[in-house]
Amino acid sequence: MKYTVLGSISAMLIGATGALAQDYPTKEIQGIIQWGAGGSTDVVMRSVTPHAEAVLGGTVVMQNMTGGVGAIGLNYVADQAADGYTLLMGAENPLLYKVMGLGDKDYSDFTAINLLARGTPILVAGQNTPYNDYAELMEFIAANPGEVRFGATGPGGLPSVITAMINAVEGELDVISVPFDGDGPALTALQGGAIDVMPAVLGAAIEGIRAGTMKPLAMFDVDANERLPDVPTVTSFNDAYNDLLPWGPFFGIFVKNGTPDDVVASLQAAYSEAAQNADFVEMIDNRGFTMMNIAGDEAADFMNRWQQNTTWLLHDAGVTQNSPEDFGIERP
Amino acid sequence: MDAFLAFATVLMQPQLLALVALGTFAGIYIGAIPGLSVTMAVSILISFTFSWSVYPALALMVGIYMGGVYGGARTAILLNIPGAPSAIATALDGYPMAKRGEAGQAIGVSTVMSVIGGFVGIAVLAVAAPLVSDFALRFQPRDYMFLAVLGILLVGSLSTGSLVKGIFAGALGVAIGAVGRDPLTFTPRFTFDLSLLNGGISFIAVMIGMFGVSEALLQLHHVDKKAIRQKVGRIIPSWKVVRKHLPLSMQTSTIGVTIGALPGTGGDIAALMAYDHAKRVTKNPETPFGEGAMEGLVAPETANNAAVGGAFVPMMTLGIPGDAVTAIMIGALFIHGLNPGPMLMIDRPEMFWFIVGALTFANIFLLIFGLTGIRLFTKLVEMPRAVLISLILILSIVGAYAVNNAITDVYWMLGFGVLGYFMRHYGYPLGPVILGVILSRLLDDNWRRAIITAREDWGRFFDGVFSSPLSSVLLAAVVFIFLSHTPPWKWAKARLFASRIK
Repeated sequence: MKYTVLGSISAMLIGATGALAQDYPTKEIQGIIQWGAGGSTDVVMRSVTPHAEAVLGGTVVMQNMTGGVGAIGLNYVADQAADGYTLLMGAENPLLYKVMGLGDKDYSDFTAINLLARGTPILVAGQNTPYNDYAELMEFIAANPGEVRFGATGPGGLPSVITAMINAVEGELDVISVPFDGDGPALTALQGGAIDVMPAVLGAAIEGIRAGTMKPLAMFDVDANERLPDVPTVTSFNDAYNDLLPWGPFFGIFVKNGTPDDVVASLQAAYSEAAQNADFVEMIDNRGFTMMNIAGDEAADFMNRWQQNTTWLLHDAGVTQNSPEDFGIERP
Repeated sequence: MDAFLAFATVLMQPQLLALVALGTFAGIYIGAIPGLSVTMAVSILISFTFSWSVYPALALMVGIYMGGVYGGARTAILLNIPGAPSAIATALDGYPMAKRGEAGQAIGVSTVMSVIGGFVGIAVLAVAAPLVSDFALRFQPRDYMFLAVLGILLVGSLSTGSLVKGIFAGALGVAIGAVGRDPLTFTPRFTFDLSLLNGGISFIAVMIGMFGVSEALLQLHHVDKKAIRQKVGRIIPSWKVVRKHLPLSMQTSTIGVTIGALPGTGGDIAALMAYDHAKRVTKNPETPFGEGAMEGLVAPETANNAAVGGAFVPMMTLGIPGDAVTAIMIGALFIHGLNPGPMLMIDRPEMFWFIVGALTFANIFLLIFGLTGIRLFTKLVEMPRAVLISLILILSIVGAYAVNNAITDVYWMLGFGVLGYFMRHYGYPLGPVILGVILSRLLDDNWRRAIITAREDWGRFFDGVFSSPLSSVLLAAVVFIFLSHTPPWKWAKARLFASRIK
């Protein structure tokens, strides 16, 4: 089977390069996905890349390289030649590596090909919990200190950021934080009653909310989400969130700094067109993500602001290993 | 009626039937090669089938999954290298059979039993999916922890010879599994500040090294000895043999489908638990376990294929993956514009019945492909040892490299191969090492989740255990199995038994 697959891929490649006029790509491009197969990052990358292949007239062979919160994949791409034949397909996490003590490289060592989409965080609760919205949860926590179990995915994960925000706005909450391997297992535990509340990305929770296996407490955004218009925003409960939101995870494709400009340009053009494909737009929409499709300076600015906001928030919450100051990250 | 039509979609469209067949056939060989995994094949297929419509894509993936889980048994029996983690227990009795010249018979039995297990899994999926997924969701971190402890107690079953050496080997495995950044807090453990160790040690590399390379090194001792002549008599097991093991296969299939349906455990643990179960319930095996007992082959092979149906239970009913392969299939459904989740069964019931249908036909093809070409395969073991040893080494190196396309995994694999050789030489069993690696994270993560949830308070922890019937039963099972291995229990049992005879 391996041969059949490889055979077909190379057949596709030969067919594709034959019809090609420019000189990039002349061989297979490798796409390193930082997260595991079947996860959000994986689904987004595998959905957009075939459309980009069509524009590029080349083949991108995608491979999941997981571990170390994505650092294994990032370091692998950083060790390859800056020729545009190895793409890094990742999420927001590397921007936190330095302050979290997970590595000395982040996206400043890479050039953004495309920041595809961002996710909106949502606070969800198990079906049998006694609170029905954010305000009731806060009251319940105040009345029952040390009882409510929050799901977490380790330092630097989305739940840790949202929890840090809640602590910053409401004062330190007396809750139990139970760590899981990712939001999938944590949401499973939520439905089984092993945890009570979980800050998750909307896309991961939306099907459960629609089916009524979990209930939404608040959308962590300044505006109501059109996928779930009835869910109140957290800013409607507490104004103070306006300073911290909007915030969310994002997905992006990168090449190592030093990649020739024309190669970067053709990759950017290909992925920009791919991101506008109707099927991809629909998939992004269905999963509750917000399309971004930005590159170049716009992408660099976005990541810069994201890094400043998030690292300082986490640092003030006391969950970082190093100060953002040590790496020249300015306080927003 | 709609359900039946959806079930029979595969049969009505020859193209789909051909894809299921192709998938199953390819799966057997992918599964048989150590290092090439079903997970890897299915994730490659996501890109490959991107432009197809959803039915053909799923038909191919389901076929590969079914075939791949079975395929791991082939190399386990013939070369003592499990093609996949779920075939580790198969090697324990399958390889001794091959050494006696009964490789053909062993493969025949493993095929028929895999198919029986597969059908039990599919039947449970078709009939009781919502019920089983409800049950599976009930498992709390503390229950997974108890399950892991039950697993650790299998060391007793997997240790041939000295139990102390077995426990040592198991502990080594648990330690190997703990290397790397701890997934819950990202704290480095046993990494000695080497960035190489941050990602942990690839479990597959350990498995291939311990089984494959150590086997090759061991065989060097007898390089001049003539190869074993394989019996080419009856390969397809007789009805009598099948019927004799039918009760056991039903029990182990049940174990398989249950463990498979749990979102935190899969076919590898199911197969090991089934092996242990077989060892406990089989009073008088014709051949002792570990030396080529038929029961030792029946149990893991039924359980790991039953786990396939089990893994689809939470996937189809809740959109929660039962294992790594179903996790990728959920991704594939998203890419094909479906929304896997609790509503899928309600909005698109035909998808559910299509999967059940595809699994059923994949299982039928498994029987056909599994029982053909066996004679050719057994010739492998009849090759001169010099050729066979080189073949094992090459397979091991290619397999270890293929896991992550990383040369470091090959070095790990070779290192553990040499370690495994010396361990075998001094009578340390290797099964418990692999068991330890598999269970290390399950035990560690869930124990921490359980005790964190109880605010590190033992009173609160046991309060939770005793107020949950499921946790209480699991704890009782742990205590019972532990006590049944202790001398006082055996003494009491012997006395009780003796008095009854009088």
